Amino acid sequence: MQSRTFAIMVSVLIMLIVINLIRRQKMTFKYSMLWLATSLAALLFSIFDQALNQISSMMGFALPSNFVFFCLLSFFIIQSLFLTIYVNQQNSRIEALAQAVGILEYQQQKPSDSRSVKPKSD
Amino acid sequence: MIPAYNESAAIRELVLSLRKQHPDYVPLVINDGSRDQTASEALLAGAKVVSHPFNLGIGGAVQTGYKIARQENYDAVIQIDGDAQHDPAYLAAVLEPILSNRLDLCIGSRFLTSSSSFKSTFTRRIGIRFFSRLLSSLTGVHLTDPTSGFRATGRKLIACFAEYYPIDFPEPEAIKIAKRLSARIGEVPVSMRARQGGVSSIRYLSTLYYMIKVTFAILIDTLKEKR
Repeated sequence: MQSRTFAIMVSVLIMLIVINLIRRQKMTFKYSMLWLATSLAALLFSIFDQALNQISSMMGFALPSNFVFFCLLSFFIIQSLFLTIYVNQQNSRIEALAQAVGILEYQQQKPSDSRSVKPKSD
Repeated sequence: MIPAYNESAAIRELVLSLRKQHPDYVPLVINDGSRDQTASEALLAGAKVVSHPFNLGIGGAVQTGYKIARQENYDAVIQIDGDAQHDPAYLAAVLEPILSNRLDLCIGSRFLTSSSSFKSTFTRRIGIRFFSRLLSSLTGVHLTDPTSGFRATGRKLIACFAEYYPIDFPEPEAIKIAKRLSARIGEVPVSMRARQGGVSSIRYLSTLYYMIKVTFAILIDTLKEKR
């Protein structure tokens, strides 16, 4: 019983933190989805702990705690995989921006250069 | 086009000799976020200069060059290293197969002739041979110098490389990409000089990373769709 209330408290706390982060615009919904879904699952499992026991034995885990650890580990792996994808996305966008900045500067300097070289024609 | 990162020691001399030997070519220096005087030296020598706000890696610089070439509608681009290792005297030879429409990608090779005075380290020669074997077994194209950054590209590949170009250690992978896009690839002999300044993008410690990265990238490219 004790561990159950503790689990409920922790999952509610995480959910509230994430929602508060969204409210203060420190996080967008897109990036908070995985956190919200996981904390919701944790909350449901800690309220309905019979369901947790049934699912874990159905999936062949010897102990429900093993199942919980497995879920947590999977969550972190998936989360870090997504973060790596985001980092790479940011990286290639920054690269494209740097190239665009360079090209823009180059185009700005070019017309004035050619004007100064060309003799007056009209 | 000349990708350059911290090459202020060699860049002015290179641009001046380029303009002297080939007054009808447009030298474009891509200054990849250098912390030294590369950009102003190149401008003084009379080159066009694009500067990145920070260092992207040689592939990023080369891609910027292709983007500009596409925008300004060039028929051909010659890429030459910013450290003056490549002799501008060979520009016309590397460019000729492109202009006569025999090749889409023409690479200047140090190893096609025995007269070349260029001395490479033992490990680098092994690496080069490894990549040339890998590329020839995967694509059927036999190249003696797949890591050479002295190369010319035609209109078709300019557009493709402007869209996508590998960001670091791009040379062998670019050949694989070109082959996937069914480009005609060939080599002409050039001779190279020892470095006049700056540091090669292939440094001692990162050799292993270089080998693994490029091999992996070439293998991944075989999984991409043909066009």
